[in-house]
Amino acid sequence: MLRTTRLTLVFVILGIVALVFAACAPAGQAPAQEAGAPAPEEAAPAEEAPAEQVAQTGLVFGLAVHDNPAESLFWGVVEKGARDAAETYGIELKSGGSLDPAEQAQLVETYIADGVDGLIVSLANPDALQDSVTKAVDAGIPVVTINSGVNVYKELGAITHVGQTEFVAGQGAGERFNAAGASKVMCVIHEEGNIGLEERCAGLEDTFQGEVVRFNVATTGTRDVAGTSASIQDKLIADSGIDGVLSLNPVIAMAALDAVQAAGGNQMLATFDLSPDVLDAIEAGDILFAIDQQQYLQGYLPVVFLYLYNTNLNTVGGGQPVLTGPGFVDASNAAQVKELAARGTR
Amino acid sequence: MTVTATSPPKTDERLANVGLVQILLRRPEIGALLGASVVWIFFAFIAPTNWLSINGVARILDPSSTLGIMAVAVALLMIGGEFDLSAGVMTGTTGLITGLLAVKLGMNIWPAMFISLLFALLVGYLNGLMVIKTGLPSFIVTLATFFILRGANVGVTRLVTNQVRVAGIDEAPGFYTARMIFNTEFTFLGAEFRTTILWWIAITVLATWVLQRTPWGSWIFAAGGDPNAARNVGVPANRVKIALFMTTASAAWLVGMMNDLRLRSAVASQGIGQEFVYIIAAVIGGCLLTGGYGSAIGASIGALIFGMARVGIVFAGWDTDWFFSFLGIMLLAAVLVNDYTRKQAEALAVARAKARTESEEAEP
Amino acid sequence: MSRGTPLLETRNVTKLFGSVIALNGVSFSVHAGEVHCLLGDNGAGKSTLIKILSGVHEPTEGEYYFEGSPVRFTSPREALSHGIATVYQDLALIPLMSIWRNFFLGSEPKRGWGPFQRYDIDFAKRTVREELGKMGIDIRDPDQPVGTMSGGERQSVAIARAVYFGAKVLILDEPTAALGVKQAGTVLRYIARAKARGLGVIFITHNPHHAYAVGDRFTILKRGRSLGTYTKAELSREEMIRLMSGADELEAISHELEELARRDVQEDAIVAHVEEQLAESLESEAEALKRHPE
Repeated sequence: MLRTTRLTLVFVILGIVALVFAACAPAGQAPAQEAGAPAPEEAAPAEEAPAEQVAQTGLVFGLAVHDNPAESLFWGVVEKGARDAAETYGIELKSGGSLDPAEQAQLVETYIADGVDGLIVSLANPDALQDSVTKAVDAGIPVVTINSGVNVYKELGAITHVGQTEFVAGQGAGERFNAAGASKVMCVIHEEGNIGLEERCAGLEDTFQGEVVRFNVATTGTRDVAGTSASIQDKLIADSGIDGVLSLNPVIAMAALDAVQAAGGNQMLATFDLSPDVLDAIEAGDILFAIDQQQYLQGYLPVVFLYLYNTNLNTVGGGQPVLTGPGFVDASNAAQVKELAARGTR
Repeated sequence: MTVTATSPPKTDERLANVGLVQILLRRPEIGALLGASVVWIFFAFIAPTNWLSINGVARILDPSSTLGIMAVAVALLMIGGEFDLSAGVMTGTTGLITGLLAVKLGMNIWPAMFISLLFALLVGYLNGLMVIKTGLPSFIVTLATFFILRGANVGVTRLVTNQVRVAGIDEAPGFYTARMIFNTEFTFLGAEFRTTILWWIAITVLATWVLQRTPWGSWIFAAGGDPNAARNVGVPANRVKIALFMTTASAAWLVGMMNDLRLRSAVASQGIGQEFVYIIAAVIGGCLLTGGYGSAIGASIGALIFGMARVGIVFAGWDTDWFFSFLGIMLLAAVLVNDYTRKQAEALAVARAKARTESEEAEP
Repeated sequence: MSRGTPLLETRNVTKLFGSVIALNGVSFSVHAGEVHCLLGDNGAGKSTLIKILSGVHEPTEGEYYFEGSPVRFTSPREALSHGIATVYQDLALIPLMSIWRNFFLGSEPKRGWGPFQRYDIDFAKRTVREELGKMGIDIRDPDQPVGTMSGGERQSVAIARAVYFGAKVLILDEPTAALGVKQAGTVLRYIARAKARGLGVIFITHNPHHAYAVGDRFTILKRGRSLGTYTKAELSREEMIRLMSGADELEAISHELEELARRDVQEDAIVAHVEEQLAESLESEAEALKRHPE
């Protein structure tokens, strides 16, 4: 009868949820009962074993970043790096993130409660994550900070930091714009609450000899790329003195490219970070250069470092952060990088 | 438990016939409770070790608590027939105000918190006043407030700090005392729980008491159910609505303070997008979007479902990619269960009314 | 009719909404123990008049007296505190709320002290059951949402509430409009009962048969003006209908009322009398119509 059917429907839906999620569990996940971690000696070196026969170490690492890696081009590459390394070394990786610092801190603490063997955390909001990271360190969990947080990682007790310093990268961009002969560069900020972006612009201001204007498109950002493109175009029309545009994100770069072309195409365009279409544009000469922080490494290396720490108590960097950038991609090397980017690793 | 015919004569023996099932079905939170049980059992099978540990419970309650505080306040407002889309961003605004006063003016944390509370109350009051004076849907009015605050959050913060966040709030005098009260950890049964959980429970109890046991409760239901009818019998519906907007703003202030005190900093983007999460938690908890019906306990359970989903997915080792899909399905399931139980309750009541009318007609 | 000071009286009341004249110089009064019917078609000004009487609107011109002294109500609450209770067409009941919450809405019984003051729920539930019992409605479960009651039951909850809260004047806005025959009969019986208790009842309707059954005096409004106030002796049913110009539906209504009149008479004498009269007048009405079809 109708009542029964409707109640059944509810349970069927719940059943489907269960199945969907059961199916999504990572294929390489270690069976739950295989918990007894093998002694360090037993862990097979990754290079010698073919991928499908990797011995599971039983180690679990948690990756907590300041954006949802599932919805972000940049963090997707970081996550892929971490996943690739985890697969190679037979490690179970849990990953996630949120733009909300409170949620990121809660995720870190959930990993701690989950008993992970290593933590990889991006520190866009160091104050906000201070307590959670300290808690992990106190619990004896090795932490590697990535991307942002180069100034505080030591203080918090992280074993090392993997990333590029945003200010230095911004400085690099300023020098390149100097060489290209720009006089007024617009620094496009696409996100509220991310100090990394501010530091890039500050770095640009530091070395660039002309004028720098900051332009905030956070209201549309990467959520409404068309809207962002339109705002940039309006700005270029309104301020005809601008002859250079620095985008801080590859998606925004493509939006800016549309805007530049629509506004007459007189501005030089450069961007932070790569994507396949940014590389195409560099090859075609539409984008001058891209600052590559090689974020794949920011996912891959920490997993390796934490693996080595867990199995051999190795630390990397000798008290210095491990820099993954700034690397520059321009017309000279775009073609090679492009092939790699198509695989989602650049 | 059941009152039988042999009970003392003072009891109305007909009450016994109402039946436990029907009393349960009439509760708005029954759908949420059912949903929460399903989610809990589900994860208990998938990730039993962590899920069933006391540590696991502490983890689930952490994100649930601040969300729950907001969901309860938003549920009251929704029962009163209004929405507040500025509730999420208000957690950021109050956090930034307190942070700026403490960091830039070197103020003690307590007066800084007090000033941001006044600001929250003022905005809540204006939200309510505008909704009542203009007669526009609160959806629109508070959407405007949302944008104004969102812009001001970034604008003012950047103007003052030349950044989009305020850091170093922990250097303000009084910070650690405030932290002790609003958001610190305490050990209970060997696990670290947050004080926000106690606030959450207290607020849920208080809201339930107001709704169920005070005249204000009736007024809130009436203001949402039919404000004109309520006004006609002398319920100060406008005052009730304004008070509810101020309650939501105060709850946002409380959560904003909890974030400040936990994170030692405030970012300009804090809370954006959360307003819908609050509404969803309230709806899962049995609130009707049309107002006049709902429960504070239900909203808390709705928040708990969120917390369970967030932590359960991590414990189970799934991709968090699926978090939002999971929420969507939970929302759908909860709404279906709510709808189903309400119709059942109504059908029972109507059947009884019919039976009574017929027996009346049959009388000579 | 000289029965001393009326409970409530208006003199030459006018109400303008912008340039629209909703009510133009209307005088109206009701005494204790009297049912005064306010008749008129849609848009005649009935709602405006009762909104003035119940304090929703203030009159633009004219005087308003309560128990002989001039009053000026700025809110329904003020009118209510004088004992003027209005049962609106939409009932002022909240469908999703329980019977007891509805009954005491706006005048909740309280218990306790200071900030811990709380709703006296036991008292509310008990009282509701008793009061509705007096009206002949047997509620089994005061927690039942009002929305699940029948239309007649809801009307009587609203009327019972007004009576319980010490109303001296009961303003009923088309209480029989949306009801079936049987339920309308029930409501008419409550009107008679309220009158018997000494309340002044203002009964708004556009059904002349319902009005004639219980009314003592009749005021007919048309396009914002009063066509006069008549006692039952002064106004025959035919005249009343002609004045209201609502004769087209008569045939149907008379059938309705015949059925109403056939109902078992089990209430007190006033009610019995009312229904007798109702049946009589209906029959004559139907005959009159047959002889002079319009």
